[in-house]
Amino acid sequence: MVDVADTPAVAVAADSAWRVRLGRFRELGVSIFSNPTTVAGLILIVLMLSIAAFAPLITEPNTPDPYQMPRDWSAISVPPGSPGHPLGTTNVGGDVFYGIVWGARTSLRLSVIVVSITVVVGVTIGSIAGFRGGRVDEVLMRIVDVFLSIPELIFALAIAAVLGPSFRNIVLALAVVFWVKYARIMRAQVIHVKENEYVDAARVIGDSKLRIYFKDVLPNSITPVITQATLDMGNIVLVGATLAFIGLAEAGLAEWGILVSEGQAGISAGRWWASTFPGLMVFLWALAFNLFGDGLRDVLDPRTETSR
Amino acid sequence: MTRNGLRKGHARRGWSIIVLLLVFTLVAAACSDDDEPSETTASTAAGSTETTTTAASGAEVSNPGVLVHAADDEPTSLDPAQVEAGEGGETVIFQVYERLLEIGESGPDPVPSLATEVPTLENALISADSLTYTFPIREGVVFHDGTPLTADDVKYSWDRVMTMDLPEGQAGTLSDTIAATRVVDDFTFEVTLQGVNASFLNAVVPSMVSSIVSQDAVEANGGVVAGEPNEFMTTDMVGTGAYKFNVWNRNENLQMEINQDYWGTPANLDLRIEIGSDPDIRVLGLRAGDFDTIETDPSFIGDIEGAEGVTISSEGLTVEPIHIAFNMNAPVDELPGTDTIPADFFLDPKVRQAFNYAFDYEAFLAGALGGFGDFNPHYIPIGIFGYDPSAPVYGQQDVARAEELFRETGWWDEGFSVSVITEEANLFEIAALVLKDSLETLNPNFEVNVLAVAEAQFDEAHASDPVPYAMWVKNADPFADPHPYLSSYAHPDGEWGEIHGFRQAYQDPDQVAALIDAGSVELDVTRRAEIYAEVQALLFDDPMWLIAAQEGSVVAYRSWVQGFTNNPLWPRPSLKFALMDKG
Amino acid sequence: MQIRAYITRRLLVLPLLIVGTSIIVFTLTRVGGSPIGIYLSHEMSPDEVAELEARYHLDDPLPVQYYYWASGVVRGDLGWSGVAAAPVTEVFAQKLAATMELAVSAAIVAVILGISLGTFAGARRDRLPDHVTRIFAISGAAMPLFWFAILLLIVFWVYLGWFPIGRSDPDVWASISHPTGLYTVDSLLNLNFVAFRDALWHLFLPAMALGYGATAIIARMMRSSLVEEEQEDYVDAARAKGLPERLVLRRHARRNALIPTVTVIGLSFGFLLQGSVVAEIIFRWPGLGRWMADAVLRGDQATIMAYVMFTAILFLLVNLAVDVIYAYLDRRVVLGK
Repeated sequence: MVDVADTPAVAVAADSAWRVRLGRFRELGVSIFSNPTTVAGLILIVLMLSIAAFAPLITEPNTPDPYQMPRDWSAISVPPGSPGHPLGTTNVGGDVFYGIVWGARTSLRLSVIVVSITVVVGVTIGSIAGFRGGRVDEVLMRIVDVFLSIPELIFALAIAAVLGPSFRNIVLALAVVFWVKYARIMRAQVIHVKENEYVDAARVIGDSKLRIYFKDVLPNSITPVITQATLDMGNIVLVGATLAFIGLAEAGLAEWGILVSEGQAGISAGRWWASTFPGLMVFLWALAFNLFGDGLRDVLDPRTETSR
Repeated sequence: MTRNGLRKGHARRGWSIIVLLLVFTLVAAACSDDDEPSETTASTAAGSTETTTTAASGAEVSNPGVLVHAADDEPTSLDPAQVEAGEGGETVIFQVYERLLEIGESGPDPVPSLATEVPTLENALISADSLTYTFPIREGVVFHDGTPLTADDVKYSWDRVMTMDLPEGQAGTLSDTIAATRVVDDFTFEVTLQGVNASFLNAVVPSMVSSIVSQDAVEANGGVVAGEPNEFMTTDMVGTGAYKFNVWNRNENLQMEINQDYWGTPANLDLRIEIGSDPDIRVLGLRAGDFDTIETDPSFIGDIEGAEGVTISSEGLTVEPIHIAFNMNAPVDELPGTDTIPADFFLDPKVRQAFNYAFDYEAFLAGALGGFGDFNPHYIPIGIFGYDPSAPVYGQQDVARAEELFRETGWWDEGFSVSVITEEANLFEIAALVLKDSLETLNPNFEVNVLAVAEAQFDEAHASDPVPYAMWVKNADPFADPHPYLSSYAHPDGEWGEIHGFRQAYQDPDQVAALIDAGSVELDVTRRAEIYAEVQALLFDDPMWLIAAQEGSVVAYRSWVQGFTNNPLWPRPSLKFALMDKG
Repeated sequence: MQIRAYITRRLLVLPLLIVGTSIIVFTLTRVGGSPIGIYLSHEMSPDEVAELEARYHLDDPLPVQYYYWASGVVRGDLGWSGVAAAPVTEVFAQKLAATMELAVSAAIVAVILGISLGTFAGARRDRLPDHVTRIFAISGAAMPLFWFAILLLIVFWVYLGWFPIGRSDPDVWASISHPTGLYTVDSLLNLNFVAFRDALWHLFLPAMALGYGATAIIARMMRSSLVEEEQEDYVDAARAKGLPERLVLRRHARRNALIPTVTVIGLSFGFLLQGSVVAEIIFRWPGLGRWMADAVLRGDQATIMAYVMFTAILFLLVNLAVDVIYAYLDRRVVLGK
């Protein structure tokens, strides 16, 4: 009797899917760097992250809370180039330059926290749905459908409105709205991989379900999640800034969306700086992650449909 | 057709679309300048001396025959029994309805309106015990629906307010002072008060809640039901005033026309009140000539100053001081988690004084109010009877004194953290931010958290008892007499006295109470003023509020408007449109 | 036959989804914030507050409140909007017309421009126009609408003065009758070309701003799907069979290139709906979006509820329509995964 464990197919299956992935990374790196738009995105990302990281060095942090805009009540709505305020001030004397720099930090906090939560929750739920199938899958997917039936911004708007204006509530609102995409992606991936050969082979060997999951399913499903997460890093900030623009962030916070809305009333009188510079930053941030994420998607999953 | 051919077809189409768009834009550019003056076109740069307003420079009047006013907010109700104090509906009620007495143009004293005389002890229209007031009613006055005014309408109007007793309205103004109303004959109306009241003729009779409505009109449209609003009266008006109500287009405008049968001097122009425009659009509309008068934020004055054909009126002060509350009754375990103050924090007058000294009044005045405003003593606004110009005022930041006081109380080294709740995106939020900056710059151990929330959330917190926050920002309600201010904002057992625990906080609550009570029944004007001077001196050392400023009353209008009269004691924007003309 | 079953199944699930969504959003508005807040005036006593709460059923248990709301909806009563100071239903139709006019204009712009640009770029694959389009498309996805709109305003309204703000010149608006509530249509029905021009001039900037993002997505999708289709075997096979070019393209290539594009057009609809909130704020457009923004800031739960349900239902219907069209166009799609 031939020992099943000796057959070549099983030998291949026994080799960790992770190692296969790792080997592909080098190829990945090359493909990524060959695309100019992707590289542009990467450079922008590095720029944004640097601003966020070095914020305390670029401008003197405000006391006691550096995330609060410093207000100079004697210099209200002064134009760019004024002494002490290179990019001008807002209608309450907030320094626009400070807002640009620390706003990057705020954006980083926002996107990292939200993406972390949504990925963990979404991947978990999606995996459960995909793996279990049947009733559990049906129920979970109905819930996902309900969440998806309301357009994202409007849903986040309603939630944040109800919770009240604060940074924490924006995080919550975005997390509640954005986890569903990951659930869907993960579920589709799990189902797809479930039917794949090497998983069957592993089952034949007798690996536990959990082991199969972590060794084979997860690594093979992870790429669309990574792509989506990258894109979301940009989009979370975009939607978050929109919520803040509408008025759902806390008073005086150094956040790009708030600055744009504060500057809005002055536009008809020619005070363009308080809105233009922060808005530009939102654009660049979203652009950075979209460019890079796009390039990543082209390389990793050319055929997969990840939603915007 | 080859594949390439079809592709070329698409490409050609693509190009033509783009070319079409470009042409459209160029045509737009060419055509835009022969526009009629419109509130919606503008091309101005800040601070530039040349203003390219499309309105003809001063020669031609826009909208002849109609006075167009751009208002700040929209009314929620046009019913005197339902309207809130200080909201948009009062402006309209002021133009269309009338009262027995009105605050005169040069006021503060009331003058006859639907009553022909002001009751006094001398003319015996006030009884000897000062409890009964008799009002002779003007004859020959006709409501807008043609029915004549009689004393029955007066009694009906006041009674209905008290019967309906709507929580959103100001029924308390009447029911707290009036014991009985009586029709003596067709043209004589009598009121008996619950107690001697020096503010009745100033604060109650001319107030919007006391407007006279048509009994016939109300009875024909739902009558009076206790506790329930009357749909007809909320959106329609049948009054006696110089203006006849025409139509209310929600979120757009209210239109009123000249009352040809008015008993007094008729209005010169029809009236249209535009609502729903943002402050910067109002400014643009004024400059373009689409609006004749606008309510505006002081922060926009800079954009209006120097504009052609525009005048700014800014001498008066509103009578709604912006204040920050000290809540001695704040439930310590319900406060926001970041608060560290103990329950007795504000009981110590030195702490309250210290806050008052620490606030950067200049910053608030310059930053939020554009310099338009002043500082009144606790608690009588400038322009109200009884205001004492020599009373001590907290109008100057005194950092040294503030530090001294904080040191004396031990808080200087210990530090504290307190939250202040405010409505977001308005003056109140700015006041809170100034408070925050003032205290935090003074001492890094001090922390002030500004909770800027939606209006609805603020109102709910504000209406609770006890209020679950240690500090909040709002403005006072407008009154025409010192007593309601003192009663609401200073008396230990008054409205806020009870909710905030003034009695425990005052050094000598009985003295304060006695003085305020004495002032409310003192009919002799000189003695009354003396009493109030004493109150103001007392309250300086024992302040129950931090008064950020008394806002300036700023109205901007086209120079072609004549007869512009502004009395801060009138409901915002303190204008009587019937007096105005243009040309 | 499969399609019919698919449609039926989707239609059956639709009401369940709607009810499910309504329960979630309703719970949200009642449990969070302060539903009573919008009806309060400052200086009300706690008793007065309680009185108002009773009037609006806010002191009843949640399911009971939901029942009142739901039965109200069935009767056509969507509650009282604190922001508009009027019944929700009264204000809704008028604002709906304004938003629809804007959204449809933006959609027209997006579809025409997007498809043209996409085919244009697809035809010049990997050459300059294609790269430019790609950058345009990606920046469209990343573009914060509030910023783009403000830029447009600064340039075209404040400095150049070419276009106005708001929906109409009030005098011109008042000079025509409004049978449909759509300014462009009404002005044409009135044969009033001054009004028509006024309508277009006011529509131009907001439609451009709102349409930008959708244009980018559609262009992108059209370009890539066209490129993909070019490469498909069946195109050559059909040609080899001797089918006329016209048929090859009409029956196969274009139809297949349109499939993902139709999907994307459906997606853009959601995009436009959400964008309208911000666009209406900035261009002072008196539509649903702006009303919702005010409601959100002032805690007007009745309006929030009505708006969210409306958009959800609309969104669901549009997605259903898109899926059905997709299924029809591409019979190879497995219906129901």
